[in-house]
Amino acid sequence: MTRYTSSRSFRKRGVVPLATYMGIYKKGDIVDIKGMGTAQKGMPHKCYHGKTGRIYNVTQHAAGIVVNKQVKGKILAKRIHVGIEHIKHSKSRDSFLKHVKENDQKKEEAKEKCTWVPLTRQPAPPREATV
Amino acid sequence: MGFVKVVKNKAYFKRYQVKFIRQQEGKTDYYARKRLMIQDKNKYNTPKYRMIVLVTNRDVICRIAYVCIEGDVTVCATYTHEPPEHGVKGGLTNDAAVYYTGLLQAHRLPNRFGMDKIYEGQVEVTGDEYNVESIDGQPGAFACYLDAGLARTTSGSKVFGALKGAVDGGLSILHSTIQFPGYDSESKEFNVEVHRKHIMGQNVADYMCYVVEED
Repeated sequence: MTRYTSSRSFRKRGVVPLATYMGIYKKGDIVDIKGMGTAQKGMPHKCYHGKTGRIYNVTQHAAGIVVNKQVKGKILAKRIHVGIEHIKHSKSRDSFLKHVKENDQKKEEAKEKCTWVPLTRQPAPPREATV
Repeated sequence: MGFVKVVKNKAYFKRYQVKFIRQQEGKTDYYARKRLMIQDKNKYNTPKYRMIVLVTNRDVICRIAYVCIEGDVTVCATYTHEPPEHGVKGGLTNDAAVYYTGLLQAHRLPNRFGMDKIYEGQVEVTGDEYNVESIDGQPGAFACYLDAGLARTTSGSKVFGALKGAVDGGLSILHSTIQFPGYDSESKEFNVEVHRKHIMGQNVADYMCYVVEED
């Protein structure tokens, strides 16, 4: 199991692309944890591989992340420090932030025109009938 | 001589992992680059400037750059073919020219940040060890790190000539005198005079006199 999760992909071994080290991580950012076999220091424990958490601390080479871990019957919010190589920004938050921006813009436009625009997201409706 | 198995067969190519392009081209040392460019995460967006000295056959390039995901951004660059335009004559790849280029770089750079004239650096060329001290209440001296690229960092290398020029000009670059010409590795002493002669091009002038006398 960990044999495959911690190993590098086919033809992607060796030197790590330096963009991994260039990311800026701030407190509150939501990040995905994915262990990288090339960098042995700061590796997350295998149970956090694939988990997503929120950054609560940033050190020189690592970020402290609050992750949910299910232990038997309960879910604990655990705080772990993970090296930069094993982290990447989660895109899960992006769609929400984009939605917030669009809403703000819609609100401004609606205010100018003195209309009311529904802002809540609607799930995709069933397709239109075609004969 | 029987049949020899072909090493570079289809299976070989299917499994072959190419190195990074710049590594294949022999232009970048990723081991060094990783260590030079990574900024501590708790310094967030603060750029880490590096002074890149590239010695080519006819020119020496001093560049100050910082790393960006889209690609390195060069803040300032000086070339040894510039001093002749300012009236400084001589060879373009000797120690004196390289020192001058470093000096020019150090004087040109604070201009970009609007903080020139705060740090003058060393006014007299003595070849001695000099480290800029930050003045309280003013922006700190410009700090960067030397990037020798793929050059072999032997003592007396031109890379360090440019370094000395930049440091004397007022940049704050971590260094020691061990690799400057004039350092005796046996006695662990730094001979300032020898270094100064190299900076002033005296070694070239002396050799020319010697050659002329020989004839």
